[in-house]
Amino acid sequence: MARKTVKNTSGRKKPSPAGVAESRGAGVSPVSFQHAIQGGDYDSGGDGAKRIKDVLKKIGVDPQSVRRTMVAAYEAEMNVVIHAYKGLMKVAIDPAQVDIAVTDEGPGIEDIELAMKDGYSTAPAAARELGFGAGLGLPNIQKNTDRFSIQSTVGRGTQLRFTVLLQPQTGESPAVNSVRLDPARCRQCLMCVHACPTQAVRVRDGRPGVLDHLCIDCTSCMAACDSGAIGMPAAAELPAPSKKTVLVIPGSFLEQFGSDVGPGQVLGALRECGFEEIRLLDEWEAALRDAVVEYARDVALKPVISPSCPAVLNLIRMRFPSLLEHVAPFLTAVEAAREEITAPHAVWAAPCPAQCSALRAPSLLTKIELVDPPVLRKAAFEHIGVHARHDEASPRPAGPRQVLQVSGIRHVMNVLEAIENGRVSDYALIELFACDQGCFGSPVWVEDPFMAQPRFEWAKERHPILSPGGRASAVRRVEPLSPRAGMRLDSDMRAAMAKLAEIDRLTKTLPGRNCSVCGAPSCTALAEDVVLGRATPESCIYRSESPDN
Amino acid sequence: MSILLDQLAKQLGADMIEGGRAGQRRIDRAYAGDRVSDLLNHASDTTLIVTNLANQSVARLIELMEVPGVCLLDGAKPEPAVVETAREHGAALLVSRDGMFETCGKLYKILETACGS
Repeated sequence: MARKTVKNTSGRKKPSPAGVAESRGAGVSPVSFQHAIQGGDYDSGGDGAKRIKDVLKKIGVDPQSVRRTMVAAYEAEMNVVIHAYKGLMKVAIDPAQVDIAVTDEGPGIEDIELAMKDGYSTAPAAARELGFGAGLGLPNIQKNTDRFSIQSTVGRGTQLRFTVLLQPQTGESPAVNSVRLDPARCRQCLMCVHACPTQAVRVRDGRPGVLDHLCIDCTSCMAACDSGAIGMPAAAELPAPSKKTVLVIPGSFLEQFGSDVGPGQVLGALRECGFEEIRLLDEWEAALRDAVVEYARDVALKPVISPSCPAVLNLIRMRFPSLLEHVAPFLTAVEAAREEITAPHAVWAAPCPAQCSALRAPSLLTKIELVDPPVLRKAAFEHIGVHARHDEASPRPAGPRQVLQVSGIRHVMNVLEAIENGRVSDYALIELFACDQGCFGSPVWVEDPFMAQPRFEWAKERHPILSPGGRASAVRRVEPLSPRAGMRLDSDMRAAMAKLAEIDRLTKTLPGRNCSVCGAPSCTALAEDVVLGRATPESCIYRSESPDN
Repeated sequence: MSILLDQLAKQLGADMIEGGRAGQRRIDRAYAGDRVSDLLNHASDTTLIVTNLANQSVARLIELMEVPGVCLLDGAKPEPAVVETAREHGAALLVSRDGMFETCGKLYKILETACGS
């Protein structure tokens, strides 16, 4: 099977130029063009580089940057001439940078690691006579560019992508994060402040803020926020697609429509929204997994950490820098996709701030628009109604089909709610555990459940004695489970309803920030405590401060 | 410190195939090699390129990297396209009658005297 590899060769020596996109001259649209390259045509090899040079000269780029761009562009072009059947060079230039992608149809590169080494070459004699094929091309491109990536599929072709910055970057690139806060919606509940794993969130003077240097772009604060004050820099309206637009979605998007709507239907709905070309991020995730598995086979330093989640990479870089050597040297899937996609317009439904940040890195060739995933979901949903009635090729098998294991109390509650609402038609049997990974997740243990549980599974394979061998038996319950009355406000329904009304009224007089200073988990809970005689309204410090209440 | 290409050609005993205004350009270093990647990396607007490559590759080098001059070796006859490119881009085209070793030896002495290092 053809193997695809995406190599991150930018390394750690150069600071990533992320963030440049925002600092470059606003309002200047890039000059862009394409240049076709013919394999074996040694006479024309260099024409593309010449076209680039002409543009750079016209806009007055400094000679050193012109030289660096020329070395990279010419080497890349000659690579196609020497090794491939044909290729396409896409170029975009603005005052801050030159962005180039060279894609070829050719044999591909078997071992990118080797190809990147000085002196390794598979060039034919004709190329060597012309002074090529010294095996210095790829390293030369890397040396002369500020950002460089290479991906290759054996039997299909190779793509190089590189950027030369035309404006000097001073010092370390600024930390980029994509957590966006809306002070107007913030209720100052401070849940985000407590949820942040790196203590990067502050709420001061009634305004929430993120300390950029600490934020790792994970979703903890978003998940903790009930008021919708925390989001991402993504469009709240669906960008208009054209014929040349590529829509990129994570596979998880396709499973956001319940048990009765299959991925095929969702894809159909997205096409009806006007997106003709849709790419799943899973393509790159699978390629990354294959490549990392292969990489891990040969590397001595174990365990290898796969660069699967950009937020985790940020965490490692900040809190566990000694482990950076363990991280396999590949781009994350979203970065690899960003490198490969060179269509003029890409709409991207990134599900987390970390992916958004990766997509905000400069790309002149492609105009990347981030769309808020719920916005895309809503748009797709409007078309799914039609589909569901006509039922075009839903891939769901009829009837319940499998066992579902769910652990962690938050997820357990989600699942129970879904069952109660009749939204689970595809699982035949459900096992629910309050702790993560079942009893391995109890706080009394010292080992992380996600490590301990699989270890035990392996141990069971090796030691049959650990596997229960039919000595124990299940016991049939004699007394049926009965409901617990915990939630009921009063044994008399009429009284309960009166209390409910009183709780509602009282809740409205409370500030709604759920600060818990009163000792109750939320304002509603305090109102209930007051009505049931467990607390007094004065225990709310904000309420007693305000004379209106 | 630097040296005029006209002057350098004379001292080197090399033929100036394409000169004109280019003879009035100055260089302060030379780089010799037959691998395009090396030449690309070391080209600058004050560097004389010394190479056996008398073909399309050296024409591209002149065109893309704006080298002031190229010195070919062993009395090589460059392809017409190379001469044309040199003329077009105001680059000097020299041909030394010696091979690379001898030419570089002479160049080293000339540049040492002219540029003082």
